[in-house]
Amino acid sequence: MNKIKPEQLLELEQPFIKVPNEQLKKTLRNQTKYLEKEISNINDKIEDCVKKAKADRITSSQAMAIIDELLVRLRKLGRKLDDIKKEEQLYTTRTKIRLEHLKNTSQVAPTDKEAFNRWSKLRLDRVLVDYMLRKGFNDTARKMAEDSEISEMVDVELFAQSARIEEALKQHSCSECIQWCSDNRNSLKKLKSTLEFNLRLQEYIELVRLGKKTEAIQYVQKYLSSWSESHLRQLEQAMALLAFPKDTLCEPYKSLYDSRRWKKLIDQFKADNFALCCLTSQPLLSITLQAGLSALKTPQCQQHEDKNLNCPVCDTSTLGALAENLPLSHHVNSSIVCRLSGKKIDENNPPMLLPNGRVYSLQALEEMASKNNGYITCPRTGDTFELVETRKLYIS
Amino acid sequence: MDALTSQYSVLLEKQQQLNNVIPSRLDRLKEVLQEAKKNLENDPSNWKESLVLMQQKSKAQNFQKELKDYSGAVSKYGKAIEKTFKQDPTIASDPTAFSGKEHILDRAVALHFIRQGQFQLSESFIKEAGMANDEEIGSSATELKFKFKKMYDIIQELEEGKTESAIKWASEHHEELNKRGSSLAFQLHRLRFIKLLETSNMEALYYGRTHFDEFADRHLPEIRRLMTSLIYHNKLSQSPYADLISEQDWLGIRNTFQRDFCALLNMSADSPLYISVLVGTMALPTIIKVVTIMNTRRTEWSQQDELPVEIPLPDDLRFHSVFACPVSKEQATALNPPMMMPCGHVICKESLTRLSKSSRNSARFKCPYCPSESSAAQAVQVYF
Repeated sequence: MNKIKPEQLLELEQPFIKVPNEQLKKTLRNQTKYLEKEISNINDKIEDCVKKAKADRITSSQAMAIIDELLVRLRKLGRKLDDIKKEEQLYTTRTKIRLEHLKNTSQVAPTDKEAFNRWSKLRLDRVLVDYMLRKGFNDTARKMAEDSEISEMVDVELFAQSARIEEALKQHSCSECIQWCSDNRNSLKKLKSTLEFNLRLQEYIELVRLGKKTEAIQYVQKYLSSWSESHLRQLEQAMALLAFPKDTLCEPYKSLYDSRRWKKLIDQFKADNFALCCLTSQPLLSITLQAGLSALKTPQCQQHEDKNLNCPVCDTSTLGALAENLPLSHHVNSSIVCRLSGKKIDENNPPMLLPNGRVYSLQALEEMASKNNGYITCPRTGDTFELVETRKLYIS
Repeated sequence: MDALTSQYSVLLEKQQQLNNVIPSRLDRLKEVLQEAKKNLENDPSNWKESLVLMQQKSKAQNFQKELKDYSGAVSKYGKAIEKTFKQDPTIASDPTAFSGKEHILDRAVALHFIRQGQFQLSESFIKEAGMANDEEIGSSATELKFKFKKMYDIIQELEEGKTESAIKWASEHHEELNKRGSSLAFQLHRLRFIKLLETSNMEALYYGRTHFDEFADRHLPEIRRLMTSLIYHNKLSQSPYADLISEQDWLGIRNTFQRDFCALLNMSADSPLYISVLVGTMALPTIIKVVTIMNTRRTEWSQQDELPVEIPLPDDLRFHSVFACPVSKEQATALNPPMMMPCGHVICKESLTRLSKSSRNSARFKCPYCPSESSAAQAVQVYF
């Protein structure tokens, strides 16, 4: 544990802080939009009213009616702003808690084992909740967040919002996702996302599938023509689709009709959503496990007689199977662990070679010999030798 | 980190200012409109002037300055974030590494929940992940749950200072524990003895007489100490045996118990998922740095099946011996085992054959570390 530098741990936390910041920026944008739009609308209406009054085109009671209308609008604006404020408050508190947590992390003394263990358990819980949210196991995720008191460190609502859209796409409905695209149009354009085009294309394909050819053509004219410069080839293909029935075997039209396109749409939506919110594109669990399993994997993990009960990679039914295709850990220096005592072998505890080729640490052999009249038994082969028959090895 | 927090406090300030201003100015606007309305009702002759007045006053209620300040603070905070967190962890991982193995990952997570004693979570997870039909998990889950529930019950009692059920368990399994060389049973009795010592001298004495007998061959020195500490019955903390009362012992006994319990079940002492994630968290910063450097310099790592960098692990997380040949710096594998030359130095087989081939005298060559000579046939394979 004393090899960890707290600043290094901070480097992993980019999404931790970025996500609520993105959410905060979004609420700010909403708020600005509403406030400025409504206020300028109201001012315009007032100006209009005054102009008409000066030109004697309205009566006093009409002016009063206009004022009433404006008052109603003001009230609505106030309520809307309250809602936005509540959401903003959520993100603000969340950012504050997360910043606190990071500050505490950076101040943990590297040798404070208790504190480090607590922090690692917390991080494991966070990583697991993130994994479960991404796979849609929302009940377990929520329960776990409550149990471990990490509700502010995970983004349950974000996934709930996107779950709605994914559900709609599963039911073959594009409208919610198209709505989402128009809400986030600017950011999606920065990402150069083709999601909206694909959604429109899919709706068009569904129209053709049902045989509603005239509607399909109108749809293209209304929604897809704006994409003609960037996606000409695909548009041409799509138009040609009109000539093929839905059970055609001719490529590429067969794949256009394929219902697996919906799955691809869901995946594309997920990827774009994560990119917008600054979440990592893969679950944190995958990223961390890959690094961890690789760092632990040694050539001995595949061999049966070298299995260590405590090594996660040796367990072939679960983590060992996951680690199959991962790279091995890299070592430039030897580090030998004595099989008898489990202790490290170094200058204070040198390795001793038995006549049968097996090596154990001097301390473990001395202890065994002291209890057995100077004789030692190799645990791997069962051969017995005297302690004096061993000789010292030099491994570096 | 500090820059970030200070930037964030500035943001909070501006946000607060904006929030203070909004309701008051909206109310003011409302008042202006209502005032105008009243004027229209009461004083119909001057209604046009009232309207003009209203227009002027409403124009004065705007939020430009506060909004600008707030968005300025937000964008500065965003920039501070960019400066503090420069790394995206995703570049260090391969998106297809676990493809096709998701069910194994789910299985590992479910097992983790059971091991940690979070049984409700494990049930809910198994249900949502659709693993109820998975045979591996289904039957073994209930079995494991039962066993781990027992373990957690006993640990709970140990936390409260009660050793009875732990002692019972230890005696039920004393054969296997002895084979492992575990001294769990003796340590439990020892703690109970010490606890009794705090209350009654005679009870502790009788307890020692009854139970310490079977441990005499292995733990005689400690038993001697314990029985002698009876003299200091009420003044243990001022006696030379003050170290017997230690909270650390109770913590240690829980760990030992957990370790032995899991070992008897043929499982690792800690949840393997926890260990892997812990190691992963330690390894990631180094890996990310190396990958970033490799990407900017457009170099490739020559050995495709090894990590490009060494991850130093703390001693209690080393589960295997690793031998790196001092000559070639490569890891020893089954095909390339470590060999010992008669002088006592160990290098890997490939380096050995290379040395013997390149030496002028075909049979003998010099050890790279000492002047002694040997031949390839004299080298012995060692097993760590």
